[in-house]
Amino acid sequence: QRLRILYTKILGVLQNIPKDAAYRKYTEQIVNQRLNLVQTETDVQKLQDKLNSGRIEEVIVQAENELSLSRKMLQWKPWEPLVEEPPSNQWKWPI
Amino acid sequence: TVRPKNEVEQKQLCAFGEYVAEILPKYVQQAQVTCFNELELLIHPDGIIPVLTFLRDHTNAQFKSLADLTAVDVPSRQYRFEIVYNLLSLRFNSRIRVKTYTDELTPIDSAVSVHKAANWYEREVWDMYGVFFANHPDLRRILTDYGFEGHPFRKDFPLSGYVEV
Repeated sequence: QRLRILYTKILGVLQNIPKDAAYRKYTEQIVNQRLNLVQTETDVQKLQDKLNSGRIEEVIVQAENELSLSRKMLQWKPWEPLVEEPPSNQWKWPI
Repeated sequence: TVRPKNEVEQKQLCAFGEYVAEILPKYVQQAQVTCFNELELLIHPDGIIPVLTFLRDHTNAQFKSLADLTAVDVPSRQYRFEIVYNLLSLRFNSRIRVKTYTDELTPIDSAVSVHKAANWYEREVWDMYGVFFANHPDLRRILTDYGFEGHPFRKDFPLSGYVEV
């Protein structure tokens, strides 16, 4: 089914991110979990209940979002250390 | 009367804040939970679009709804304005606040590419405070009069304005 193709594509994109990124770890976890569930359950209704996150169509939309997010993450690389420190009284509240 | 402290929810929000901060260390400078169970993420201004797309698309954090986009003026700081985004997750029923800073003349990336709802909110922030948004389609005045000069919500703008009515 489409979910299987989508999840394999996401895993493929994730392989390109350097190994020590937390994003890669967590997304791989989630995607592998869902992929296993999809492969073991052939009945659509039971799959929906097991995943427990809305209808199957919504899960497909979510997987497509995750795919586009992983492609953008490749571009932006948010796992490097901070770009810039804030000035010291920036987040002090009350002033 | 004081609201009873919901420890479980606070711990969950703390854990989620640490999760996000771990995934995006390049932009997230601080993450905090307020006393009445609200998560806040403090971000460097270059990272608005990545962080907002992450929060919108990721499976663990589906914040698809932009509830509010405002700015706070604190004139004594170097980076004067703080821009605040309030996001709502429909799947998990939780809210999160994302804060960035900018000074008067630095433009900020527009959130319109991530959330279409940001259009009018950014026009309002531009009109009332003067924070310029790059890549915004159709940034013009909203809420002020046609020939109005100045940006009303700033702290150095007097309460009754410069022009007699």
